[in-house]
Amino acid sequence: MNTQELYVTADLAHIQLTEEEISRLALQVEQMVAYFSKMSEFDVSGLEPTTHMQVSRSRARVDERRDIPGAHSDTLLDAAEELEDRFIVIPNVL
Amino acid sequence: MLTFWKNVLENSPDAYEKAVRARDARIGSFLEFNPTRHLGNAPGEVASAEKHAVLAGLPFGVKDNIAVDGFRLSCGSRILENFNSPYHATAVQRLIDAGAVPVGKTNLDEFGMGSSTDNSALGSTTNPWNEDYVVGGSSGGSAAAVAAGLVPFALGSDTGGSVRQPASFCGVYGLKPTYGTVSRFGLVAYASSLDVIGAISTDLDVLQAVYEVISGADPFDQTSMDPVPSASHDADAAGVASLGYRGKSPCLGVLKPEQLELSAEVAETYQTCLEGFRSLGYEVKEVSLSMLEYVAPVYYTIATAEASANLARYNGVRYGLRPDYAENPEELVRLSRDQGFGAEVKLRILLGTYVLRSGFQDQYYLRAQKIRTAIRTDFEASFGEVDMILTPTFPRQAFRHGGEDMSPFEQKQADKFTASANLAGIPALSFPAGVPKGLPVGMQLLAPAFGEPRLLAAARDYATLYKPELAPGYERPAGEQ
Repeated sequence: MNTQELYVTADLAHIQLTEEEISRLALQVEQMVAYFSKMSEFDVSGLEPTTHMQVSRSRARVDERRDIPGAHSDTLLDAAEELEDRFIVIPNVL
Repeated sequence: MLTFWKNVLENSPDAYEKAVRARDARIGSFLEFNPTRHLGNAPGEVASAEKHAVLAGLPFGVKDNIAVDGFRLSCGSRILENFNSPYHATAVQRLIDAGAVPVGKTNLDEFGMGSSTDNSALGSTTNPWNEDYVVGGSSGGSAAAVAAGLVPFALGSDTGGSVRQPASFCGVYGLKPTYGTVSRFGLVAYASSLDVIGAISTDLDVLQAVYEVISGADPFDQTSMDPVPSASHDADAAGVASLGYRGKSPCLGVLKPEQLELSAEVAETYQTCLEGFRSLGYEVKEVSLSMLEYVAPVYYTIATAEASANLARYNGVRYGLRPDYAENPEELVRLSRDQGFGAEVKLRILLGTYVLRSGFQDQYYLRAQKIRTAIRTDFEASFGEVDMILTPTFPRQAFRHGGEDMSPFEQKQADKFTASANLAGIPALSFPAGVPKGLPVGMQLLAPAFGEPRLLAAARDYATLYKPELAPGYERPAGEQ
């Protein structure tokens, strides 16, 4: 992966990288992507992808309210840095 | 020792706290420790409470990516440094219901990403056996806390070996259950198709009780399930010379020597261990896990892909670290992630984003998922011939801090023995097998799905030959007079 590709990928991942980080990460990313390429040796024709283990079918639950002790909306909202009524305050970005 | 642990919180919580803090000033296993915060919680009604009475009163540590109400849930990351959990993970709740008491949160590689615990942004943890060496990871704080006698057991999470590898480095037992048997509710997601909560202890009775208590279907995790007992999995977990379980000698599968690539110390311990099992009456048979060489690349492709999606939620808006000022919403997200994530997490998010990019997905992610199928069927074929497979947990002993004798890339390649169990969804147990040159070596047993009882039975058998040693200076529990 060249540096330009790395910038595009970082942009997609919403990560801002300094030039110092780019030069350090470029080598590591390159090394790992080259390592992943080993997978191209293997013939995968006829194989179905495994997406999850022990799950043979989709499981749906009944669409009803379930209370988890401690996980009420108020306690969850309290975990936010700053609140105004029941709205989460974020820095002024406009 | 268990008698001490069962009574310590009731009899002398202050002395215990003082002793743990004194020891942990050197080890650094806990990010947060408060033995009295959950003391006095009434145990819930558990049908099997009597069966698991061994857990009543025991203090335990919890890896800091598993939710415990009243404690922080930092994941070892600056981005969640001040985040408090408002509820308990199901595994924690079930242990509380059985009478055990969570006393603190243990250090980890940030979001579970690493093999040393040196990737934590919030603290450094060192190996109780030798402070120049890492404790392993990512559940390094949990393994260190158990090995240093701070708690009788601790919870960890295992995505590619994160319970077993630090257990191996610290000379303790580490169990990674079958995928789905332990609810992931309250476990911060890293790679959802691989993550499982596991347990670390020096005591097999405790380990077994913890597994039995935390396993089972949970309505809050749609992928969770009850273990499915099967006639072929009926080792008598209570014990002993499981010689004769299934009416014949148990059969251990071993890999071809050229597949192992071990350090001299691990190779020697492995041979001793094999001979030990033979002397106990186990048959040993070579199996061909031809897919082993693909395990690490497949594992890192899938794990980073899932991580990049799971960690997209840390955007500085709803919770966690955020910058004081941003020009626009996009910058707010970028700055939060830039300041909040450490180098290894950024690397894995970038890799995961790359392998999921349109145009590359078939080449990497989809291909990895298909090879995962081949890895799974490779194990299924092997388990048609043998009851369990024995491998070293990690190809070498603990390495030095800073990665000077094992680079981060080499650490990733070395996950092949452990990550294979996560890719196949099967249970695996690391057990202490020796302490050559002053550092522990663990061996790993793998079994078919729901085969935890036979893993525990085999470990009990081996304990009749080799009694795990405790780290020098930590032979007695913290606070014992």
